[in-house]
Amino acid sequence: MNIDPEINPEETDMTQTQIPQLAKNNSSVRLAQMQMFSADSYATLVAAEPAIITSHNFSLFYGDKAGVKDVTMDIYPRSVTAIIGPSGCGKSTFLRSINRMNDLIPHTRAEGGLMVNGINVYDKQINLVNLRQQVGMVFQKPNPFPKSIYDNIAYGPRLQSVKRRSDLDNMVEQCLRSAALWDEVKDDLKKSALALSGGQQQRLCIARALATKPKVLLMDEPCSALDPVATGRIEELMTQLKDTYTIVIVTHNMQQAARVSERTAFFCLGELIEYDLTRTIFTNPSIKQTEDYVTGRFG
Amino acid sequence: MANQTPQSTKVADFDRPLLLTPGQDWGNYLINILGQALLFLITSLSVVAVLLIFFFIIRKALPFFLKHGVMEFFTSTAWYPEGSPAEFGAGTLMAGSLYVTVGALLFAVPGGILAAVFLSDILPFKARQIVKPIIEILAAIPSVAYGFFAIIVVAPWLQKHLGLVTGTNIFNASLILAVMAVPTIISVAEDALTAAGRELREASLALGATRAETIIKVMLPAAHSGIIAAIILGMMRAIGETMVVWMAAGNASQIPTPWWNIFASVRTMTATIAGDMAESPEGSDHRLALFAVGLTLLAFTFLLNLASEHFLGRSRGGGKGRKK
Amino acid sequence: MTIGFRQKLDALFTSISGLSVILMTAALVLVLGPILLKGASAVVFRGTVEFRQMQLELFGRGNVLDIQAETTEVEAARNEVYSIIDHFKKGIDADVQIKQARDIYREYGRQLRLRQIPSDKFTAWRQKVRKLRDALETAYTTSDEKEALEQLDFVLSQQNIPEVDDTAAGQYFQMARDYRKIVTEVGLDHKEEYADKFKQVEEIIKDIFGPRPGESTILMASEQFGMTRWDRTLFHLNRLLWVEEWVEKKPGEPLVKVQRPRVEQFAGTEMVKVFDLMEDNLQAMQHPKLTIYWQYFFDGDKTTGHFFGGVGPEILGTLLLTILSMLFAFPLGVISAAYLIECAGDNLVIRIIRTCINTLAGVPSIVFGLFGLAFWVPMISTISGNPAGSSIMAGSLTLAMLILPIIIRASEEAIRSVPHTYKEASLSLGASKLRTFVTVQFPAALPGILTGVILSMSRAAGETAPILFTAAVAVGGVPDSLFHGGTLALPYSAYNLAVGDVTGARVPHNQFGMVMTLVLLVLLLNIVAIVIRSRVSKKLLGH
Repeated sequence: MNIDPEINPEETDMTQTQIPQLAKNNSSVRLAQMQMFSADSYATLVAAEPAIITSHNFSLFYGDKAGVKDVTMDIYPRSVTAIIGPSGCGKSTFLRSINRMNDLIPHTRAEGGLMVNGINVYDKQINLVNLRQQVGMVFQKPNPFPKSIYDNIAYGPRLQSVKRRSDLDNMVEQCLRSAALWDEVKDDLKKSALALSGGQQQRLCIARALATKPKVLLMDEPCSALDPVATGRIEELMTQLKDTYTIVIVTHNMQQAARVSERTAFFCLGELIEYDLTRTIFTNPSIKQTEDYVTGRFG
Repeated sequence: MANQTPQSTKVADFDRPLLLTPGQDWGNYLINILGQALLFLITSLSVVAVLLIFFFIIRKALPFFLKHGVMEFFTSTAWYPEGSPAEFGAGTLMAGSLYVTVGALLFAVPGGILAAVFLSDILPFKARQIVKPIIEILAAIPSVAYGFFAIIVVAPWLQKHLGLVTGTNIFNASLILAVMAVPTIISVAEDALTAAGRELREASLALGATRAETIIKVMLPAAHSGIIAAIILGMMRAIGETMVVWMAAGNASQIPTPWWNIFASVRTMTATIAGDMAESPEGSDHRLALFAVGLTLLAFTFLLNLASEHFLGRSRGGGKGRKK
Repeated sequence: MTIGFRQKLDALFTSISGLSVILMTAALVLVLGPILLKGASAVVFRGTVEFRQMQLELFGRGNVLDIQAETTEVEAARNEVYSIIDHFKKGIDADVQIKQARDIYREYGRQLRLRQIPSDKFTAWRQKVRKLRDALETAYTTSDEKEALEQLDFVLSQQNIPEVDDTAAGQYFQMARDYRKIVTEVGLDHKEEYADKFKQVEEIIKDIFGPRPGESTILMASEQFGMTRWDRTLFHLNRLLWVEEWVEKKPGEPLVKVQRPRVEQFAGTEMVKVFDLMEDNLQAMQHPKLTIYWQYFFDGDKTTGHFFGGVGPEILGTLLLTILSMLFAFPLGVISAAYLIECAGDNLVIRIIRTCINTLAGVPSIVFGLFGLAFWVPMISTISGNPAGSSIMAGSLTLAMLILPIIIRASEEAIRSVPHTYKEASLSLGASKLRTFVTVQFPAALPGILTGVILSMSRAAGETAPILFTAAVAVGGVPDSLFHGGTLALPYSAYNLAVGDVTGARVPHNQFGMVMTLVLLVLLLNIVAIVIRSRVSKKLLGH
């Protein structure tokens, strides 16, 4: 079992070039992946740091139907991982499993392991509040609360009992700056968030998610409801944020995946078909199905 | 490895524990269970209320039935609660309720369903926004105001223009009850028609049917469960109404002769309870008899309610089925 | 079937179903129109001087001096009528005259005693005057004109006798002169007949003008004042001027109602002038002025028959019942709705709860009243230690049960219509379920919930049957205690005024005013609800 995953640094497009030590709890997952992907491709996949999210034979059922089947993949910190696939392929389901948002749907059942920072999120003792605070989420449609811009951002910190006005003010400004929205809204923070444009609303939602100081940011087709200009701004924002945060983005837009992500996973019918460096997926996928999809022959 | 900055290894280190301590776990569990139990208790107050209503009405009605028997109450038409011997035949009262309810439905069902069709299929959206508040206000006017209108305006009019002995009669009460039941019928029937789906409408229109043909041959059959439910709910409204029939039906404990004489005065179950209560001493057979009338009324409406739920459920289920 | 025929059928169908909507609208207008219009006349009307006097005496409103001046003015005009009436009354009302004659005789005796006249002279004088009195009495009681004149002439012939000088008995001659005039002018043939008819006239005039100044015996509170309103004054004027009679026009046919001028009954007498005066000069006697009686909604009723005053206590009682019932039903309803949506799955228990809520919604209101009587009334009496009976608390608890299902349904719908994304967003930020509900879902659902709450308030305010046995009283006021004593309430008072035909018919403006107030209250609540809802739906659509 003592597999030494030597990686060729120059084949990764990561900034970090160190060869990582394998985290103990990751070894079995690695093994599974080894069987799935070619050694070459696998080598390029592993990043310099230990994976922050690891999924091992993870399945999620809606009643009897499996939304996600036997997914095994690692997601690495401080990078953008894209999940693509035709609609209904389980990519959103997988994403929403990471911070347990699927709990809202009745009769769901999980099997296998989905670890965040080494802890199975489907553990009975999971602290959902802490999990969701540290694994933030941005939704498909901008969903600001019907409150003021300020209150939207301050919602998360207030949950963590940040009470002092100056702290909140700082935090709101910082988050709005990180989301590249500060300059646009700094004068009317008291305005209803619903009065913003769609793109602004989505950036507000990102800022709101950042305010809880997450480590991971899950984005569920964040640009699907936006026009190209707004989309561009969000993508720009993502590339800025990936230095600090781990971003997992579900998208149906393959160009977007190609533009923003380091790694891409291709899902189909609830199964993970292929997971590799984005460049590889789009230029030289090892599985025919993936190639068909990315070249537009299917889906 | 040596170059690795401390921060980078910390990236994965979540600063807040992802797992609950056993204490927190138990605490949360308990709070959750207790909170849910409390909420459940509050919610089940509705059940308690229904049970209490049944219990207390039955508790007072049962001694009456034990003493006077069930047969007399339901079959006899002699209601002389203060006579000697007192007679408690609720036949006339039930007939009275039946007369005004059926009368009201005769007016309200065609009107209500046609109006529902007009609202859901014919009227443009904007006009609908104007008509709907009218229906709501019609439903909101207190029953005593309708009763007032019946006795102060309608009754003298009937007396004068139709040459009747009394203006407070089945016709008057039914007319007013119909106006009160129409909003209920419209809103439920319209929901059912809307739920039947646009596809059905389009399919029929695409085959060259006119709008009237589409509505009569396709929409109404498709929405029939909801429409039956609407009629039942309208019926409940009419049968349970007190003030209007008390004021407008004439309060004569009789079965009209000939039976189709809609200008005869009758006395309904609800009006009897309302009117006789002041004359019946606490604990008297008369008082208990009124509770027996109340129980009958309650049983009627309960059964009607179950029926309406059944049809409403079918109408919703049907809607879902079609969408698949 | 040809296409044209089918199209005609289609158009026919459209117009018939459109007709049903038009009929409905017409029904609304027809019901609300008279109630609101006639009801408004309880507030805006032409008030007479009696109204201002009533306001001054019962509610201490208005300028005392102005009203006194007006009263003097009016009284001057009325006195003309009164003097004719009084004069005529003397002629026909023998009892009054006889009583007066006897009073004078008694007074005469007292005067003699005061003068300390010797006893033999005293008896003789008294006998003499007694003869005068007896003659007068005979004249008053007889219906034989000749005999009456004989007796009166006898009295008048005694004018110069010394026994009468400077005593009360001197008045006998004036009486005799007056009566002689009446006997010669009116004649005594119809005296009895006149007595009845005159009494009617006198009563109607008393209805219009109220008690005469100085009249001390007031039997009923409702007779304290005359007609406070010009429309009612005219109504009674009509009663005064015309007599209704049922006559048989042709033998065998049903009787027909005809109106005859009342003045015919008094043809040839001085009373004719009264009718002319009343018809021509009534404005001066009543001083009608446009009045906006906005205090109608606050004033109490000081006469227990809704003759004077307003609907203040009724409004207060209704509001108390409504708000109190809302205090019980609102938290329970909202919590139930929240539980049903957020916590409860779909299992047998929940289905039973839902069925029960529907059942509760379908229970006839009178059965709620019965239940309140059997459960809440004894319960409240046990808690408060007061004897069992109506109380505001029992009524509101009964109403609370009635509106609970309405609030639950409305709240459920409101909570359900909050976009799911709000909840997701909040949860994804690490808020707990409770926190999410309290800080996000509930505020977003609040306008919808409020709409439901206001609508159920309007329902509670308008319900009569549940408070019939539990809280409402026909006369009285609003009790000091919530736990003891029934209250006036708009719907029940409206019912009482509508069916209590004798009293109600005397105050038609109040009959309508009471219902109008109730309808206005309910409409107001409904309009508020409709406005809130349309704003919410606009906001949601905009979103």
